[in-house]
Amino acid sequence: MSKGTTVRMWRRTAIMLGIILVIGFGTLIIGLFKLQIIDGNSLYQMAAEQQLNDTKIEAKRGTIYDCNMKPLAISATVWDVVLEPAYITTEEEKALISNALAEILSMDSQEIRDKIEKNSKSYYCIIKKKIEVQQRDAILEFESNNNITQGIRLIESNKRYYPYGSFASRLIGFTGNDAQGLSGLENYYNDSLSGIEGRMVTARNAIGTDMPFEYEQMVPATDGYSLVLTIDEVIQHFLEKSLEEGIAANDVRNGATAIMMDVNTGAILGMAVKDKYDFDLNNPYEIADPDIKAEIEALPEEQQGEQTTNALMKQWRNKAVSDTYYPGSVFKMVTASMCLQESLYNEDSMFVCGGSIRVGSHDIGCHYRAGHGSENFVRALCNSCNPAFATMGLTLGNDKFYQYYSAFGFSERTGIDLPGEAEDIFFSKDGTMSETDLAVASFGQNFSITPIQMLTAAAAIANGGNLVTPHVVEKVVDNAGNIISTASTHSKRQVISKDVSDRMCAILQQNAIDGSGANGYIEGYRIAGKTGTSEKIADYNETGVMTYIASYCGFAPADNPQVAMLVYYDNPQGGNYYGAMVAAPTFKSAMQEILPYLGVEKQYTDEELEEVDIKTPNVMGKDLQTAISDIINNGLNYVVNGSGSTVVAQIPKTTQSIPRGGKVILYTDQASYDAAAKVAVPNFVNMTMAQVNELGMSSNLNISISGSSLSGDVVSVKQSIPEGTQVEPGTVVTVTFAARDSVL
Amino acid sequence: MNSKSNQGKKTSSLSGTHNISGMKKRSHKKFRMFSIRAGLDLPFLIIVLVLVATGLVMLFSASYANAYYLYGDSYYFIKSQLPMAIFGIAGMIFVSYFDYHHLHKFALLSVALSFVLLVLVLFMPAVNDVHRWVQLGSFSFQASEITKFAVVLFFAHSISVNFKKMGTFKYGILPYMCLLIPTIILLLLEPHISCVVIVVTLAVIMLFIGGVKLRWFALALIVLLVAAYILYAAGKFGYANTRIMGWLDPFNKDIWQETWQTRNSLYAIGSGGLLGLGLGNSRQKYLYLPEPQNDFIFAVVCEELGFIGAVIILLLFALLVWRGITISIRSKDKFGSLLGIGLTVQVGLQAVLNVGVVTNILPNTGISLPFFSHGGTSLIILLLEMGVVLSISRTSRIEKAFAT
Repeated sequence: MSKGTTVRMWRRTAIMLGIILVIGFGTLIIGLFKLQIIDGNSLYQMAAEQQLNDTKIEAKRGTIYDCNMKPLAISATVWDVVLEPAYITTEEEKALISNALAEILSMDSQEIRDKIEKNSKSYYCIIKKKIEVQQRDAILEFESNNNITQGIRLIESNKRYYPYGSFASRLIGFTGNDAQGLSGLENYYNDSLSGIEGRMVTARNAIGTDMPFEYEQMVPATDGYSLVLTIDEVIQHFLEKSLEEGIAANDVRNGATAIMMDVNTGAILGMAVKDKYDFDLNNPYEIADPDIKAEIEALPEEQQGEQTTNALMKQWRNKAVSDTYYPGSVFKMVTASMCLQESLYNEDSMFVCGGSIRVGSHDIGCHYRAGHGSENFVRALCNSCNPAFATMGLTLGNDKFYQYYSAFGFSERTGIDLPGEAEDIFFSKDGTMSETDLAVASFGQNFSITPIQMLTAAAAIANGGNLVTPHVVEKVVDNAGNIISTASTHSKRQVISKDVSDRMCAILQQNAIDGSGANGYIEGYRIAGKTGTSEKIADYNETGVMTYIASYCGFAPADNPQVAMLVYYDNPQGGNYYGAMVAAPTFKSAMQEILPYLGVEKQYTDEELEEVDIKTPNVMGKDLQTAISDIINNGLNYVVNGSGSTVVAQIPKTTQSIPRGGKVILYTDQASYDAAAKVAVPNFVNMTMAQVNELGMSSNLNISISGSSLSGDVVSVKQSIPEGTQVEPGTVVTVTFAARDSVL
Repeated sequence: MNSKSNQGKKTSSLSGTHNISGMKKRSHKKFRMFSIRAGLDLPFLIIVLVLVATGLVMLFSASYANAYYLYGDSYYFIKSQLPMAIFGIAGMIFVSYFDYHHLHKFALLSVALSFVLLVLVLFMPAVNDVHRWVQLGSFSFQASEITKFAVVLFFAHSISVNFKKMGTFKYGILPYMCLLIPTIILLLLEPHISCVVIVVTLAVIMLFIGGVKLRWFALALIVLLVAAYILYAAGKFGYANTRIMGWLDPFNKDIWQETWQTRNSLYAIGSGGLLGLGLGNSRQKYLYLPEPQNDFIFAVVCEELGFIGAVIILLLFALLVWRGITISIRSKDKFGSLLGIGLTVQVGLQAVLNVGVVTNILPNTGISLPFFSHGGTSLIILLLEMGVVLSISRTSRIEKAFAT
């Protein structure tokens, strides 16, 4: 028997060794290379995912305030209920916890029980999100009463509240379940508002407890910034109220908007977007319109989803920035400005309107079929005369027209800090158009712009020619009140000269006094404005039924414009669809409340002033009924004292001047006249007109206003009856006013 | 026959007891008894010691978290392993002095012991649903540890004895099948598939080196494939099926729980990257990786020492295989060669299979990593086997740096 190894053994051993080393170890090394070098990162991520207990610390979302720091959107702490079924092992525990939670959270106990069973190994199983403090307390109490130390976790989170519900809903917007802004300011400023989510990263072992000696890293949440809006809750309220009335009065079918802007800064003071029904920001997914809701519910189920989505998108839509419309005659203020700026016409330039104008092969009609006849530039605007404006447009020419169109900001988004701003739709991208198009465009038809674009252009006409960027947020502040950023007035360009601006203000004021815009006029406030009625041609082409948009755009005071406002009704069906009939009254009613609120003083024109004071009619000895009707017919109010049927005394006495709307005190028997308590005349000097009127009213005195200059910034300088004098109620005190600068 | 002649010399030399020559004779006798003709192979010894030392460090690192959570004592595993390692190294040195030719006598005995244990183990209480552990008082070991040694020893013995007739069926195939088939059946009853794979692979390698004709291997391969196909067609893979699925796609969400061990092993390995997280810094050992002190210890090695560290350890194993085989093939007789190759390859094979499983190159099956995995008895048996290789190295015709 040979002892040593044979050659074959050597050879076979060598083969075997080679196989083990190359195939065995070689494969392993290649395998390790793939796992550690090539796939290393992704495997590391996966490992980290299970090893690191990454608890999010929700950042508190910032508050949205109006300009007076009234909160419009706030976040409050709520809790998510999370179960850790892995800790709930015994049957008694399962039953106890699921029954208790079901009762506290008004849920089905079997459902909770099923969740525990199904996720028996899990440490994170959400039962209910965003519970309020009462429910949280109930759960805590249940835990302590039953000595439950693990299995239920309450994770702090935040919930958004909108204290005013549907107020300014399309402007403010709302947030989704995970606190991300979905619409409006909540969406546009989401990054600022949401803050930075904090994280608590702890290494944990496979049984979910934190490792005894590994790291723990805490990145605290940074609370979101708060927004201070330029919106004034009071103004917004007036706008919404006026719109609501307008929508109801005119049966407006497709929503409406009213926007008010500070013409000098571009700050939006109010932006009301209303429909017949308004959704509640606290419940945005509820279809607000009961008719639409019923309609959708009647649909077969498979169509409901899409229809619901459409209805929701419509109810969330901010028409003020997302809708485009033909500006119609409102645009004439822009065309007129172009002409004055180009010195093609002046106020005295004459036009002749024969009811229509022929441009190319088309006859363009005026809304006044009989024709306005001969009219100057100012009257052409006051008459809202289409042929005159078509003529102006043709004189301007395509290039100039589009150049100004762009300069007024219509060819670009205004850049307002709101989501979903639409772009204009012009005849062509480069601004070229046919002669007919140009003629029609000159009075605002056949191209589409957004309401906010129109208002911004109007503000430029009003403020001396500056196109400013509209904005809704005044400043962004952190939770300590430090200002992070402030909106500064961003003036894009000078579009027209100060001179043209002033002249346009005068023309538009004239229009508001006795032109097409007269329904928006408010005595005492120097309103300038222009109406517009636009045909919704696109809808007409689709449905064959013509519908309209009625609008009014104006500003005040005309001599020193402060605020501009656009009112816009989409599809009024209440019989009237003209801007003058539908939108102007809204403009008027809103302005009437807002201007005093803004501290804009009433200033009467001299003609107005003449009409302001009335001679008190003589009703002495007259039958009470006759006396009352005489007084009312004179535009005065009355107060009756005594029980007789004949007037025995009146204050003020006849022939004395009394302001329109003043109070005549009537006495029907001598006894009551004698018994009437005298009043002491208060000080009326060094006050504004509004203050004097108010004080007069409250002290039961009539105020007669006098003074050489009553327009402009005036202050009372003299009163006819000295302060402290005892007089009969209703006595007329004449207060003299003078311009403030002459006083100082 | 080698062992017989040694035996004869030993007996004859016992009679002489003279002074100086007696001293010489005694030392000569001792010399023969333990067959120290030259020193043992130092490189092999160093490789083994480095592996044992590294293994101990890694065992502690991998096990302390588990030990802390499960036994409240971070040192639980290392405390039992360390004395066994010391004891095993002492035993290895001791065995290296022992003339391996004596092992001829134990060939049949060890086979008999292996069968007894393999049967006995089936009546032992199951651990994790398998009958692998023989419990003797407080100490336990896997019956298969003995089986693997018995197979190597018997094959080495029988092949070296019948070397000339290895080409025949009667001497080259039959005796080995008589041993292998019942062994495989008993192992499948445990079940212990990984051990079957090791035993069969060892058998094939030894028969291959022993000179069995290649056609037999071809036949065996065909039989294996047919059997596998039949099993597959009969859908017999049963529980192994999810294993196969888990092997092919460990991140399949449907068998997420079933692939827990493999996934977490891969997470650990991947987390290591090139340089590793540093010794002691494994995160996966915190209860993610089940029993990181056992079969999946290499995943922790990869995580802590990175690709570089893992490759170095693999190279240590490769060096061990290469050196062990070099020693063995240069042994002065076939028994020594076959025995040494069998024992060395067993270690290498187990290392390759273990790392293959840990890296999901192979389907998951329980197989420990030599020198690293926790298990005192197993470590001692392993070190004693390395002692046999060292003993062979003493008579091997290789250049030796030192003589010990």
